[in-house]
Amino acid sequence: MRERLPSLKLPLAMTGLFLVTLLLFCADILFGGTPLEAGDVVRALFGEGTPESKIIVMEFRLPRALTAVIAGAALSVSGLLMQTLFRNPLAGPDVLGISSGAGLGVALTVLTLSPLFAITADSPLQGWGMILAAWAGAGMVMVIIMAVSSRMRDIMTVLIVGLMLASAISAVVSLLQYFSNETMLRTYVIWTMGNLGNISWQQLRALTIAALAGMILAFVMVKPLNAMLMGETFSRTVGVRMRSTRLMLLAAASILAGSVTAFCGPLAFIGVAVPHMARLLFRTTDHRTLMPGTALFGAAILLVSDLISTAPGGGQIIPVNTVTSLIGIPVVLWIILGKNATAGRR
Amino acid sequence: MKKRGIVIAETEELTIGYASRRRSIRVMEHLSVSAGSGELVALIGRNGAGKSTLLRTLVSLQPAVGGKIRLHGRDLHSIGSTMLPRIVSFTSTEPVAERNISVRDAVSLGRFPYTNWIGTMTDADREAVDHALEDTGMLTLAGRRLDNISDGERQRTLIARSLAQDTELLVMDEPTAFLDLPSRYGIVSLLRKLTREKGKCVIYSTHDLDTALNEADRIWLMDGECIIEGAPEDLILSGTIARAFESPLLSFSSKEGTFSFVRGRRKGIALKGDAPALSLTEKALGRCGYAVDQQASVRVKVQTGPEGWRWTLAEGSETRSFSTLYELMVHLPEE
Repeated sequence: MRERLPSLKLPLAMTGLFLVTLLLFCADILFGGTPLEAGDVVRALFGEGTPESKIIVMEFRLPRALTAVIAGAALSVSGLLMQTLFRNPLAGPDVLGISSGAGLGVALTVLTLSPLFAITADSPLQGWGMILAAWAGAGMVMVIIMAVSSRMRDIMTVLIVGLMLASAISAVVSLLQYFSNETMLRTYVIWTMGNLGNISWQQLRALTIAALAGMILAFVMVKPLNAMLMGETFSRTVGVRMRSTRLMLLAAASILAGSVTAFCGPLAFIGVAVPHMARLLFRTTDHRTLMPGTALFGAAILLVSDLISTAPGGGQIIPVNTVTSLIGIPVVLWIILGKNATAGRR
Repeated sequence: MKKRGIVIAETEELTIGYASRRRSIRVMEHLSVSAGSGELVALIGRNGAGKSTLLRTLVSLQPAVGGKIRLHGRDLHSIGSTMLPRIVSFTSTEPVAERNISVRDAVSLGRFPYTNWIGTMTDADREAVDHALEDTGMLTLAGRRLDNISDGERQRTLIARSLAQDTELLVMDEPTAFLDLPSRYGIVSLLRKLTREKGKCVIYSTHDLDTALNEADRIWLMDGECIIEGAPEDLILSGTIARAFESPLLSFSSKEGTFSFVRGRRKGIALKGDAPALSLTEKALGRCGYAVDQQASVRVKVQTGPEGWRWTLAEGSETRSFSTLYELMVHLPEE
């Protein structure tokens, strides 16, 4: 219970989580696929040391770690927004097909438009092009899900529609793959495995700006989000304008999930699982605490996933998507089983 | 006698229903009722009469199809969306979306219309929340989560939230639904206390006629075509209640203000004995198809003795004795 003690416990938990995240960030830079002495890493960060270590640290590890922080935070906050918006503990970018929608946008740009306009991977046009396409795809799915959930109160119906949408989209993507050339196909398949390291500084800048915009939009909405915990009717009677609030939340969640998915591929289960971990740690439902808490927790989890994915060493890498699934799925199962257990007791 | 308070809410020739571009469905027309400060108003009516529609229209959750609603003498339309939540609060039957929320956090959300853009609670806000928790008897449970308390306590939490919202008018849709008898009574007496001690005006809808007729200052009765208002006893005397709720199976006693089942053709039975078992025996006999008739040939006598109550059943010269009413009922002569 955080009754009467919030003044002490909350900042303590938040500071602790921040320090852990910072530690993980440093670890993610120190350790990587190619072994490097800690001293070399530090020297490279200050622009000294061998050219080889400088390239490894400045062009690979640092952007990679930064991407993990931004992507983890953005995906988790997106999940938090969706869980409150849909009144559904299992809502999240991947579960409801939002990531698939973003994927469709990416597939369309990578597989069809890029070869058409001969846009290379490094051009800034592709950076923002992919982001915009991912936003559009994510937003499209989100609007469909929203329309369904306004008619169907049943959580399961909405989840099933999300699954169907994801399947339909993957069918469309398969069709696109069939008609595309081999190089583009390989780019796309590698993208689907989830990758934090394949991002240039230029793309990282685009991702940062987009994620920040989404975060600000989300944070402006904490008060109505809290009211929505009590239900829609209550929110309306205390003066929340539901239509515009919903639209804002949809936009924020699509921007956050869409931008990350565009550059890092679908990172499974981060968005669903992390908000629950944050609720467990902070023992509150208040979005003023949950939102920064979820963002930090998401960054930490993705940093851990990245450390694990590069652990085999010698250039071998486990796809991040696999690691996040292994971390997230137990949490999701715990939610489903826990909910059913309480329902059965009644 | 308590003087009637200042009028807080009133409707004038109100038409409620659902209007869309193509057609409008009028649930009820010509509604003219009012409610004053310090009054407990019970809205009753049969299922589908439009009780929720009326309440939702009163708090501006849906537009009126026609007519006027005035809160504090001001037209509902002229009250802005930032002002309205400070004048009227609403508790619906909608389940709370996040059942993990603590009682205190839920009640704190009642301060929504007063806090800044991020919802920061000032000392005054916290004090209002504490008072609301205290008035509803929820202070000791403030740290509990909503899915860890009983249905009655959850309803109290919602009432506390309404109180924290600090409005003079509290509108509640079926606050006693799904509650057991003691909790139902507890909720209504709490609402009554709020009207007496805080001068609030509480309008609530209910199917619990008994409590409504006993506790409410004013009844709004929705009866198919129209709405009739008045003190419960006025409506009983005028026969309005009986007309609205009587059916071939149910009869209303204006003397006691209670409903009872209509019994079919009855056989006579003579009954003598001591109170309070006498009236209970009469009730049990009534259920078995007997009406008391002291001239009848079948006779029942109930007396208290050293071993408790005893019932004697006499039919002609045959006499039998029982220690429980149940046994007596089993042995009553059939047709």
